[in-house]
Amino acid sequence: MRRARFIRLALVAALASAMTLPLLYEPAAVAQTLPKAKRIKPGLATGQPPPAPGPAERIEADVSTRTIAITSGYSGAEILVFGTIENSRQPSAESGFYDVVVVVEGAPEPLMVRKKGRVAGLWVNSKTFNFNAVPSYYAVASTRPLEEFADVAALEENGIGLDAVRMAASAGSAVRVSSEDLIAYKDAVSRLKQAARLFQRDDYGVIFTGRSLFRATIALPATVPVGPLTARVYLFKDGKLLSRFQSRVVLEREGIERWLYAFALDRPFLYGIVTVLLALTTGVVASAVFRRRGA
Amino acid sequence: MNIYLPIAEMSESVLVLLGMGAAVGFISGLFGVGGGFLITPLLIFTGVPSAVAVGTSTAQLVASSVSGAIAQYNRKNVDIKLGVVLVGGGLLGTVIGVEIVRILRQAGQFDVFIALCYVLFLGVIGMLMLIESVQAVWKTRAGQQPSVRRPGEHSWLHGLPFKMRFNRSKLYISAVPPFLIGAFVGFLAAIMGVGGGFVMVPALIYLLRVPTNVVVGTSLFQTVFVAAAATILHAGTIASVDIVLAAVLMFGGVVGAQFGASAGSQLKGEQLRLLLAAIVLLVCLRLGWDLVVTPKELYTLAQSAGGA
Repeated sequence: MRRARFIRLALVAALASAMTLPLLYEPAAVAQTLPKAKRIKPGLATGQPPPAPGPAERIEADVSTRTIAITSGYSGAEILVFGTIENSRQPSAESGFYDVVVVVEGAPEPLMVRKKGRVAGLWVNSKTFNFNAVPSYYAVASTRPLEEFADVAALEENGIGLDAVRMAASAGSAVRVSSEDLIAYKDAVSRLKQAARLFQRDDYGVIFTGRSLFRATIALPATVPVGPLTARVYLFKDGKLLSRFQSRVVLEREGIERWLYAFALDRPFLYGIVTVLLALTTGVVASAVFRRRGA
Repeated sequence: MNIYLPIAEMSESVLVLLGMGAAVGFISGLFGVGGGFLITPLLIFTGVPSAVAVGTSTAQLVASSVSGAIAQYNRKNVDIKLGVVLVGGGLLGTVIGVEIVRILRQAGQFDVFIALCYVLFLGVIGMLMLIESVQAVWKTRAGQQPSVRRPGEHSWLHGLPFKMRFNRSKLYISAVPPFLIGAFVGFLAAIMGVGGGFVMVPALIYLLRVPTNVVVGTSLFQTVFVAAAATILHAGTIASVDIVLAAVLMFGGVVGAQFGASAGSQLKGEQLRLLLAAIVLLVCLRLGWDLVVTPKELYTLAQSAGGA
């Protein structure tokens, strides 16, 4: 009798944990070892008194990792974008003489937005809107909030900032909706992507570490779709765009993950059969193991 | 410790997944049910796309049902001939079910559809079980023996063609009703990722009057084949089976099931059924809540190219 009561308790506990387990999910801390930033030529970073107005400033930058491997332990990555301003006339790292913006953007891909509506008392997807091209990922980091140093036209023109992310509506969808609805759909994309950390902004994410050296770390969550990313760096002075730079990062599945994914897509039926065999083996082996232990 | 799921395209804690598998395995071992009806909603709550949750759950079903089926077979509790008819129907139902999943997924209505299916089936089954088990508990309290099996009587079912003799079940009936039952259960397996024992067992007992001792074994026999077919079809047509996720769930599941089974032998049948009814209704309410209550976010994003 007491045994039975214990089991009932254990059961309730098991059920409660089954219901709450998904809530315990925590996005694991990003732990990706990064190669140290390449050393920039010493002459550029130190010493030198600010030169008289002369040669124009130019920006040069690079990313810490050109290829990010998605393996079975992958839980997102961090990339470091770093660079230097040639001919910097900035007196010190803290002077706020220049403004630097770093944009990391994923490949544009088609996207469908669905809107729920009430049908017979139930919330079901009732409307859809198609975009032909929305970047899979968009992160912007700057030395201070964009609005403080650049005008909207310049940001819009260069696709800088979450308000300037290029979203191309499909022709079929665009003619069906009013301009307010179009804005609502774009806002929804931005809001949902931000909630998923696929769109992000960091107003003070770019830091000067010297008169001309700067750096920014950009977090890539595990959900960023596999593919190429572009990293763009802009140099502003008094709201004027002085220079820009572009580089590429590639996200790739590697090892067993790559193999499994290719297997699932290239030989889907064989993949299914292998899964079934795995399941059969697991079931049979488990029952054999436990029967021996129980006997 | 996180693990990257290649088909679901997300990273999830191994411990959470193992725990989910073990908890569901425990419950499935305790009640002798497949547990698919818990795995699928739990995966969806975790953020796994609905179609991947269903496809992967069918793979987990194979693992959880095969050991039970073998044990029942060794005890000669499987009517192979009846099982084959059920599997035949089941395969047809599975093919239709996977096709419907594919169509609904393209139309963007799969998430709502599966939630509705779950609310409907779990609600009905849960209520029926609740009523039945409350009555049974009541009767035992009053000192009566609960009686399940009623004497066989001739109904319209016996007028159908293709009569077959099922020796182990001691039945001489038309093959049409078992084929249709099998098809319906196969259909459920494909669209909901459930073994369908909760439909199959009552149908065999009350509609076909199959003796109770061969019902569970024959139902498990059918589940193994139908779940296997559903897994292969899901993988083959819509690439919705995540083998990494399935492996972790299976491992947790088979271990949990063993403990559940030994715990189950300590509880009375009526109490077990009452408890199971409560769990089924809880899952049903949780899913129904999301359908009725005004969502915080009206919009959802999806990949246009046939993604979930």
